[in-house]
Amino acid sequence: MNRMIGLAVVVVLLSAGCSSMGVEPWERDVLAKDEMQLTTDALEAATDDHIYFSKEASSGGRGFGGGGCGCN
Amino acid sequence: MTNSLFIKIIVIAWALAVSPIAASDSAPSTNLDLSEHQGKVIVVDFWASWCVPCRRSFPWLNAMSEKYADEGLLVIGVNVDQDAGSAAEFLQNYPAKFLIEYDRGGNLAREFGVQAMPSSFVIGRDGQIRAHHLGFKVKRQDEYEAAILEALQQEIVK
Amino acid sequence: MSRKEKQSISAALAAATCSLLGAGIPAVVDAQEESAWDFNTSLLYYGEDEDRVQDFSVSAIARRMFVDDRFLTLGLTVDGLTGATPSGAIRQDVAQTFTRPSGNAAYTVPVGDLPLDDTFKDTRVAVTGGWQQPVGDTSLINVGASASREYDYTHLGVNARFATDFNRRNTTLSAGIALSIDSLDPVGGAPMPLTAMLDVGDTGNRMGDQDKDVLDLVLGVTQVVSRDLVVQANYSYSKSDGYLTDPYKILSVVDGTTGDTLTRSPTPGVEGPSHQFLFESRPGERTKHSIYGQAKYYMNGKVLDASYRYMTDDWEIDSHTVDLRYRIPFGTDRYIEPHLRFYTQTEAEFYQLSVPDSQPLPSFASSDYRLGDFDAITAGVKYGWKTRNDNEMSIRAEWYGQSGTVPANQIIGNQANRDNYPDLNAIIVQFGYRF
Repeated sequence: MNRMIGLAVVVVLLSAGCSSMGVEPWERDVLAKDEMQLTTDALEAATDDHIYFSKEASSGGRGFGGGGCGCN
Repeated sequence: MTNSLFIKIIVIAWALAVSPIAASDSAPSTNLDLSEHQGKVIVVDFWASWCVPCRRSFPWLNAMSEKYADEGLLVIGVNVDQDAGSAAEFLQNYPAKFLIEYDRGGNLAREFGVQAMPSSFVIGRDGQIRAHHLGFKVKRQDEYEAAILEALQQEIVK
Repeated sequence: MSRKEKQSISAALAAATCSLLGAGIPAVVDAQEESAWDFNTSLLYYGEDEDRVQDFSVSAIARRMFVDDRFLTLGLTVDGLTGATPSGAIRQDVAQTFTRPSGNAAYTVPVGDLPLDDTFKDTRVAVTGGWQQPVGDTSLINVGASASREYDYTHLGVNARFATDFNRRNTTLSAGIALSIDSLDPVGGAPMPLTAMLDVGDTGNRMGDQDKDVLDLVLGVTQVVSRDLVVQANYSYSKSDGYLTDPYKILSVVDGTTGDTLTRSPTPGVEGPSHQFLFESRPGERTKHSIYGQAKYYMNGKVLDASYRYMTDDWEIDSHTVDLRYRIPFGTDRYIEPHLRFYTQTEAEFYQLSVPDSQPLPSFASSDYRLGDFDAITAGVKYGWKTRNDNEMSIRAEWYGQSGTVPANQIIGNQANRDNYPDLNAIIVQFGYRF
C-alpha cells in the first residue's frame, strides 16, 4: 500500500518536473483534433466501464483533463 | 516586451520575408507595407482553425475593425495553421473583414511571445505594445475594447 | 442477476460524467454554426452465450454550451436485462433443485449443467447531470450528480473535479472525488451471510434493507510530450463500506473427500433445495488502489491509443489491463478502428469453489466467477463515418471472452472431472450517433 502511494507520488512529481517538455501554444493543431482527445467518445467509454465493472473485479482508473487545443 | 522600433522592424521584415513563401504555397496573402500605417493603432491577433474561442473572436474583431477604422485602427489576423486548407475552411465559415497574414512557421508568434491561443496584442501609435490578452472571453469584450480605445486616444508627442 | 450488474449502471454513469469531464474543450463543436446543444446517443446489445445474460441499452448524453466554455450535461440510460447468470453452485452428476431468491418458487438444473439463476429480468433507469466551467485562465471545475433505480437497487451519487494547467498548458494536474450512497432491497430480503438456502416459503434467515457507501478519489497528471503525443497518468483510490455481498450468490457445500455436493431433503409437502447450499459472504469493507497510464500518439493521420492499468485491493485481488486502439482514417470522413484488450486478475482471498464440510466455516466465502482467477480478451473493430450534415455515426462489434482457473488446492475429489469455472463468451454491438 505504501509502495503504491510512493509510486504515485513519484509519477506525479516526475511529471510535474517536466516543465520544459511540450509544445508552443501555436503548435497544438494535432492535439486539438477530436481523435487525439484522451477520451474520444464518452458514451463508448462509459459503456465499456459498465460492462467490465459488471464482469470483472476492477473498475475505472481513467482520469480527465489536459491535452487538446490548450486554448483560453 | 521589446521596444517600439524593434517590433515595427520585425513585423515589416517578417511580412517581406514570408509573403513570397506564402504566395508559393498558394495561400492568399497581402504584401504588407507597414510604413504607410505609421501612426495607426494595430491589433495583432494570432488565430488558428483549430482554436475554438477564435470562432467567437472573429465577429468581434470584424466589429472593432469597422467601428474604429476611421480613427486609425488596423486589425491584422495572423494565422498559425500548419495546413493552408484548414485556414481557408475556417475563413469560409467565419469570414474576416480585416487583414489576414500567415505565420506558418510560428516565427512571428515566437517573437511576440505568444503564451496561449488566441492571443491579441494592441500596438499603440508610437509602436509600443500597450496591451495583450490571452484567450477570448465573450464576457470580457468590453475590457478588450477599452484597451483599443485607450490606444486610439493616445496623443503622439513629437 | 448480481448486485454487481446493477451497481454497474451507476458506476457507468459516474464514469460517463467523469470521462465526459475529461473531454475538457468540446470535441464535437463543428466548424459551422456552433449550435448550443450536442448529443451523443447509442444503442447497445450485449449478449453472452449459453442462455446467459443479454442486455439492451439506450443511452443519450446532451450537452449545452453556455457563453465562454460553460457546459451543462445531462445523461440518461435505460437498460433491459434478461437471461441467467451463474449462481455460484457447482455442476453435479445429478439434477439439482434450488429455491429462487424470492423464496416463492424453485427451479431445477439438469444433470451436468452449470447452475444458472434466471430470476433477473430487470429494467434500470439511470440519470446524470453535470456542470463545468472555467476557473481563471488556466483551470476548470466540474460538479455532477448521478442516480439510478431498479427494482431492488437505488444509487445516489455526487462528484466533483478540478483541473489546472501549467507550463504553457502542456501540463495538467487534476483531482476528482466521487461519493455514492447505494441501498439494496434484494428480492426476498438479503440472506444472512453463510446461512443455508431454505425451502420455498421459508424466509427465516432474511435481513432487511442494506446500504453501501463508496468514496472514490482520483489524482492525475496529463503531459503534452510533443506535437503528436500526449500522455496521462492517474492514481485512483476507492473505499467501499457496507453491504458488499451479492445477495443472490451461493456456494455448494461438498463432501470433504469426494467433492460432491451434500444432498438434503425439503420438508415434506414443500419444494426446496435438493442439495446443501450456503449464501455467500464478503467483507464489509474494500479498499482499492489503481494506477493508470495512457498515451495517444498521432502517426500521420492514424492515432494509436494505448493504456495500462494496475489494480490492487485488500481482498488480495490484483489485476492488469492493457487496452489498445488504432484509428485509421480513410477518405476525409471515415475511419476504422481495431481494438484489443487484455485483462488478467488473481482471485480474492475469500474466493473458493465450494465449501467442504470437513473444514470449519470461513468468515467470508464466495464462488462468484468475477472474483476468481481469470484472463480475458476483447477483440473488436469500430467503423465510423460522417453523415451528409456533418454528424457522426459509428458501429462497433466486439467479442469478449473470459477463461478462468480454480486454484488446484480448492479442487476436491470428483470436482477434478468437471469443468468448474464458468467461462464467459459474449458479443458487444453498439451503434452510436452524435449530432
